[in-house]
Amino acid sequence: MMKAPALPALISVAFVVMAIVLIAIGPPGSRPPRERVATHSPPPAPSSVSGPGLTLMSVSVDLPEDAAAYPDGPHVDTINANCTACHSPSMALYQPPLSAETWHKEVEKMRDTYKAVIDEKDVPAIVAYLAAMSTRTAAGASAAAPKPTE
Amino acid sequence: MPDRLMAPIDRRRILQASAFGGLTAFATPGLAQTLANLGLPAGPSLREMTTAFPQKGAMILQRTRPPLLETPMAVFDQGVFTPNDRFFVRWHWAEIPTSIDVDAFRLKVHGAVERPLSLSLADLLRGLPRVELAAINQCSGNSRGFFQPSVPGGAWGHGAMGNAKWMGVRLRDVLDKAGVKPGAVQVRFSGMDAPVVPTGPDFKKSLSIDHARDGEVILAFAMNGEALPLLNGFPLRLIVPGWFSTYWVKMLNDIEVLDRPDDNFWMAKAYKLPDNRWANVAPTAKDYATMPISTMVPRAWITNLVEGGTVSAGQPIYIRGIAMGGTRGVAKVDISPDLGRHWYPTRLEPEEGRYGFRRWAITAKLPHAGKVPLTVRCTNHGGETQPMTQNWNPGGYRRAGAETITVVAA
Repeated sequence: MMKAPALPALISVAFVVMAIVLIAIGPPGSRPPRERVATHSPPPAPSSVSGPGLTLMSVSVDLPEDAAAYPDGPHVDTINANCTACHSPSMALYQPPLSAETWHKEVEKMRDTYKAVIDEKDVPAIVAYLAAMSTRTAAGASAAAPKPTE
Repeated sequence: MPDRLMAPIDRRRILQASAFGGLTAFATPGLAQTLANLGLPAGPSLREMTTAFPQKGAMILQRTRPPLLETPMAVFDQGVFTPNDRFFVRWHWAEIPTSIDVDAFRLKVHGAVERPLSLSLADLLRGLPRVELAAINQCSGNSRGFFQPSVPGGAWGHGAMGNAKWMGVRLRDVLDKAGVKPGAVQVRFSGMDAPVVPTGPDFKKSLSIDHARDGEVILAFAMNGEALPLLNGFPLRLIVPGWFSTYWVKMLNDIEVLDRPDDNFWMAKAYKLPDNRWANVAPTAKDYATMPISTMVPRAWITNLVEGGTVSAGQPIYIRGIAMGGTRGVAKVDISPDLGRHWYPTRLEPEEGRYGFRRWAITAKLPHAGKVPLTVRCTNHGGETQPMTQNWNPGGYRRAGAETITVVAA
């Protein structure tokens, strides 16, 4: 029959274990520097594949987020809700002035071809926003002819 | 430019007949800029410059997500090869892997083949003959922002293009390893990017089986001697010399040999051109025959002068730029100071691959003060010459006409 160990025995076992742990760690200030290195070591070198004259290293990057929203205007909430999931607003904002008819085709293309989740009832508001934006772009373009620097 | 101030006599005679002149409007590639002005006729023309993208230097920011990054024209003045960190970037979908483990990466070859393959990068780097080729990668919609009337689409200036030395293995060798079955008609390519909306059309492009096996189509794991930047297609990209960028599938990990023509959206519906020599229709045209976009056409640009720049009249000036021949090498580049009434030949620098950029230069003089339109046109070894008038099509694809910039001689 197994018998539960007496409390003094448990205490002494615990004491021995603690002693071993403390000895292993060593007193503060005398820890070997490699422990600190281990705590702050960089991730392992990326894996690589080599052939004659070329080595390819594994790559991990961060792509910039785009927090930009569409500028204020009638129906801005609708376009922000519908037209930022797949692409940055700049895709629309940098378009040349386009007619409401062309904008409507573009919005329908996003829905039908690219499967953008846009409720049909939101389409007129989105088209109205974009057409108004085109009107402002056209006014700006005629006010100041471009003087390229690139 | 000191050694070029001594223009030969015949060149001087040219100058008198023409309207060339002194030059102070060199592009300033080293100048830090926060805004670029693309000079698009209908606007908007201003774009932010960005250095926020990994492995990329200063680029014109067309769109953050998915990335559209344009190369500033000044970069093309520095040499015929475009540095990897300045090479333009274009993605269709925003689901782009940001980590690539080169050990785990596999290229699948399947479909109408005897032996489906799953190739590691080691297989490609060590197991097949290595080839290297200089070739221009140009977006189908490069220069779309100059189309008049305006068309929807990425509003690029001229910088959706670049030239690099691509190193890799022949697609033919990979296909032979898999053993193409009789009856194969096309080969379809797909990369690791994915639609944001899962039901959206995954980006895939196809080439005919004969084209795929012509020995010039490459699976590239290096550009300009180094691994590709992730945004340019690391670790593997399809290189289709002479053809537009849409076929140069990035992060290529899937090759499917087809026994029937590809009817996927990106081949059947997108990237279609009017089926005529210059891909040209009237803006009102309807119901015309179309074809998938394919080969590039000759083009040329001035790279050391900018639109609206001031030059000094009456002194010899040095004008240079780049040209491309499309599917053939560049045979000649001519320049006109009067919208095509008179053309003057430029000197061509040595060719560095017939699919790459070739630099041209001329020393000339503008005797009279005033605005001078400078037009350059390329002729390739197939005898194809850029027309003076621009083509138009609703996709804003394959702009072909000679480009003009106007400088002010004073």
